[in-house]
Amino acid sequence: MKILTVLKRIFVFTILIFCSVPVLAQSVRISQIDTSSLLINQNVRLYVGLSDNKGLPITGCTADNFSLFESQDGKTYTRIPQITAFNPRANYESGINFLLLIDNSGSMYRSMKARGKFLKSTKIQHAKNAVATFLESVSNPEDTVGIAVYNTYYQCLSDPVKDKAKITRQLSEIQKPEGEAGYTEIYASLFRAVEEFKQVKGRKALIILSDGENRPYFLNTKKVHPDFGTKTFSYTEPVRYCQEEGISVFAINFGDPRERKERHLKEIAYETGGALFDARDESELRNVYSRIADQIVNEYMIDYPATMAPADKKFVKVVYGSGPLKKEASRFYFSSTVFGLPMKNFSLFMLIPLLASLCLAWILSQISFKNKRKEAFLEVLNAGQTKAVTKMFTLNKGRTVIGGSTRADMTIIGGPVPVKENHATIVFDKQKKNYTVICDGEITVNNKPVKKRVLESGDVLDVGGATIVFNDDRE
Amino acid sequence: MSLLKRRIFLCLIGICAGLGAWSVAEMILCFQVDFPSYLVFTLSLGGVFGGIMGGFFGSSDGIIMSNKYRIRTGIIHGILFGALGGVLGFLTGQAVLFIAGEYLLHSMKEFNRIGLPVSRALGWSLLGLFAGVAEGIRARSVEKIRVGIIGGLSGGLLGGLALEYARIIFPDIMLARLTGLLILGVCIGIMYGFAEARLSFGVFTLLNGRYKGKDFLVNQRRLDVGDSDSCDIVLKGYREVNPMHAKVHVKKDEVFIKSSGDGRAPLFVNDDKISSHRLKIGDVIKIGTAKLLYHYK
Repeated sequence: MKILTVLKRIFVFTILIFCSVPVLAQSVRISQIDTSSLLINQNVRLYVGLSDNKGLPITGCTADNFSLFESQDGKTYTRIPQITAFNPRANYESGINFLLLIDNSGSMYRSMKARGKFLKSTKIQHAKNAVATFLESVSNPEDTVGIAVYNTYYQCLSDPVKDKAKITRQLSEIQKPEGEAGYTEIYASLFRAVEEFKQVKGRKALIILSDGENRPYFLNTKKVHPDFGTKTFSYTEPVRYCQEEGISVFAINFGDPRERKERHLKEIAYETGGALFDARDESELRNVYSRIADQIVNEYMIDYPATMAPADKKFVKVVYGSGPLKKEASRFYFSSTVFGLPMKNFSLFMLIPLLASLCLAWILSQISFKNKRKEAFLEVLNAGQTKAVTKMFTLNKGRTVIGGSTRADMTIIGGPVPVKENHATIVFDKQKKNYTVICDGEITVNNKPVKKRVLESGDVLDVGGATIVFNDDRE
Repeated sequence: MSLLKRRIFLCLIGICAGLGAWSVAEMILCFQVDFPSYLVFTLSLGGVFGGIMGGFFGSSDGIIMSNKYRIRTGIIHGILFGALGGVLGFLTGQAVLFIAGEYLLHSMKEFNRIGLPVSRALGWSLLGLFAGVAEGIRARSVEKIRVGIIGGLSGGLLGGLALEYARIIFPDIMLARLTGLLILGVCIGIMYGFAEARLSFGVFTLLNGRYKGKDFLVNQRRLDVGDSDSCDIVLKGYREVNPMHAKVHVKKDEVFIKSSGDGRAPLFVNDDKISSHRLKIGDVIKIGTAKLLYHYK
């Protein structure tokens, strides 16, 4: 009885797994996150690709097959309660950006072996032919193609461009590596390629042509690599980077199957949602382009409402299926706000600056800069071209002299009009309690020439080009 | 108040604006997670932030002129237009961030150092613009609006860049944002003051009495002179000044003064009684017991 129950449970479990996952996926990838309507309707759009273990797109899934999660830190995820829109064939119109990464190590200059026979041409020649075949099949004029080569070094020959003829021309410029340049830095070059390729907007596919295993310069020579130093890249590093940037890697294998091959090339391709092709099979090579295009057309478009947790970048995780066979992919999108991140804790002390600013503004509004001087005085408002030795003079004597001599109470010198020693005298009339200006030289009061005049507070005197204001606010 | 004191006041008001806006913005930020969407969050933050900045800058003219009526109307206009500017500025800034951010984050190597701060600073300049034009709209003056646009936009941009780079240079300092906002406020104040002086036709300086030394910029087409609070040049505490004593107006870059009430209010220019007069630099105007000098600054 016990055995029967266990068998029953295994059967139910297996059925459950197969019901929840329509087709087992080898890889899930988020190839693009579109946040252009995040501000308007809180919507985040994901383009999700599913591939089987041959790199073929998995079609026919529904929204129920996917679960979405968001995280502020990439560690603690919150489940998104609902998918607001789901489209099994993302309407893909813009082109695909390809980067061809060609092995240019020393071994590529050996003869190509196909179906047990050595061919006259070298592997690099075959690689070039494969690229030419690929370029011929690129049918969408919006597609762009870039080219880079690698051996000990990574070298970008052309950023992705629409002009395919340029890429064909670049092929002929690939030079045979000399001396220590012939090593094979596959992982490091792939990493570097992703670093440059991620700058390209839109869907990206990286096609790597390789004939052998990863042979890092540092490990084989014990010399420091001029670009990569002593760092040894693991194949998981470019894989993770590709996943983060939504780049699929399609690998084309060269050479005899009996030769030592890069054992991780298959994993790199499959884990990034790409596929592995055999260069000896020309018909397969011709299918590379249509395979990639097909995969992208069959991506799933998933919309969901973003969470409001504050973060400069938010991680989103897509889980396909459930149970032990589930596959997941994560990527982040930009979620920084104009003001940035909040402080850790809310505190009422935050109100203090507001109160302080209101107090300061109130204090400023109370300052009126009232003139408190109650005695009569003269003030040089504008010295003009003259040198006014005294800027301000209190009229506390019966007679005050404005003149060009240092003996004067108020000295004005150096102006365009000569100032006499006793140019103007201001006399206080004790009975009438007013001041009168009596002039020896030429002066104006309120722009009128005068010889003698009773002054009013605010009268403007021009003495030799200096503007002097008379003030008497004793009342 | 002299032009120098006026500029110092504008800077101090800018500091008040930065301080007050920072305080409220930090509180709103703490509740980001409780907002239903980025749109509501951005509108709220922008509206409140801009409203506070605008309120302070709107009150600046009244504070400088010690005119309570103008402080009140300035605050109301400032809050309204500042809030509008804040909403538009923050929406623009946020839209740039969300639309360009995802692409730039993956593509531009210099994104964090150049692209992001510059795009955010453009949002700040829009906020500065609206905070700056509030006083011009209150005064219904194209010239003052122009001053606000130039001063607010340039101050907002300069201050915004300072704010953004303060956050990049001192990412771990909690008060980097406060420092940045204070710089933003001061920059708007400085640039407003600079634009105000550059774009004015001339200045009236009070020569006597309680408010001796106070400057009144001719930075709008029409100015009312009198002892009423609603006047642009308020002559309170001077005898024989009518509530609406004279009008100053600008026509084809020339400044005229005429007495109000069909010329019945006594008005003197250079001791001559006039009813209307085209002002020249150096003219001395007498209104009641107040004397003003018209000159350039």
